[in-house]
Amino acid sequence: MTDIRGWLRLEEEARKIRRSEADWKFIEEQPARVKAALKYYVETGDLYVASRIAGLTVEGFNNLRKRAKIPNVI
Amino acid sequence: MSFAIADTCFLIDWSSWRRRNLLFRLFTTVFVPETVLREVESEDVVEWIAGSLASGNLSLFTETPDILGEARHLVERTRLIPRVRGVDIPEAVCLVAGRRRGYTVLTENRGALMAASLLEEYRGVKVWRALEIIYELLRRRLIPAESPAAVFKEYEKETGHIFPKGDLENAVRRL
Repeated sequence: MTDIRGWLRLEEEARKIRRSEADWKFIEEQPARVKAALKYYVETGDLYVASRIAGLTVEGFNNLRKRAKIPNVI
Repeated sequence: MSFAIADTCFLIDWSSWRRRNLLFRLFTTVFVPETVLREVESEDVVEWIAGSLASGNLSLFTETPDILGEARHLVERTRLIPRVRGVDIPEAVCLVAGRRRGYTVLTENRGALMAASLLEEYRGVKVWRALEIIYELLRRRLIPAESPAAVFKEYEKETGHIFPKGDLENAVRRL
């Protein structure tokens, strides 16, 4: 079983991968809401909240995440 | 007979994989909460879900007020643990159903994994990611594969989902 420290380490590793692989040019070109949502996703990996920020369904946001080349790491 | 309940982030990735129907070799029925169903929109995913509902492999899970109440309480509890990823309502509903009904929870949400690991009353809930499902399919030889690593790679390529390196290496080694 993973303890809190273990989970936090995994979260940090995943965050680094999302930051390094994201297409930042694509992200910066998006409208304000979508851009904020993509940046939120890079930092947290939380698809549901990111989709609410963008005003999209979870699947709609997930398709956008793929276009922004942000990996879903879990 | 075994039941599972799937959340959105699992379903939308899983449904992009060519071997998606193998899920139903592991579970008699996979429940899809209404809150999850509302979050899918693309033709391919909606058609796969509708077809699987029609064949009885998937089944609609309607949230009752008491399940939603416990799910909301779970959301709040996870937000009380500093720096730990919280769960949101859709995956909280799955965890509550998992706890109450003994369903395996299918998710790609780390918050759900954390909750099942850190909160005592949810520790008995079995939470599987695609990684565990593919591992089980390979272990039971439901996927004929000379190279297990190639199957995981195929999933990553077709869904855009990346497995954590350590977990992936561990799964391949155990096979």
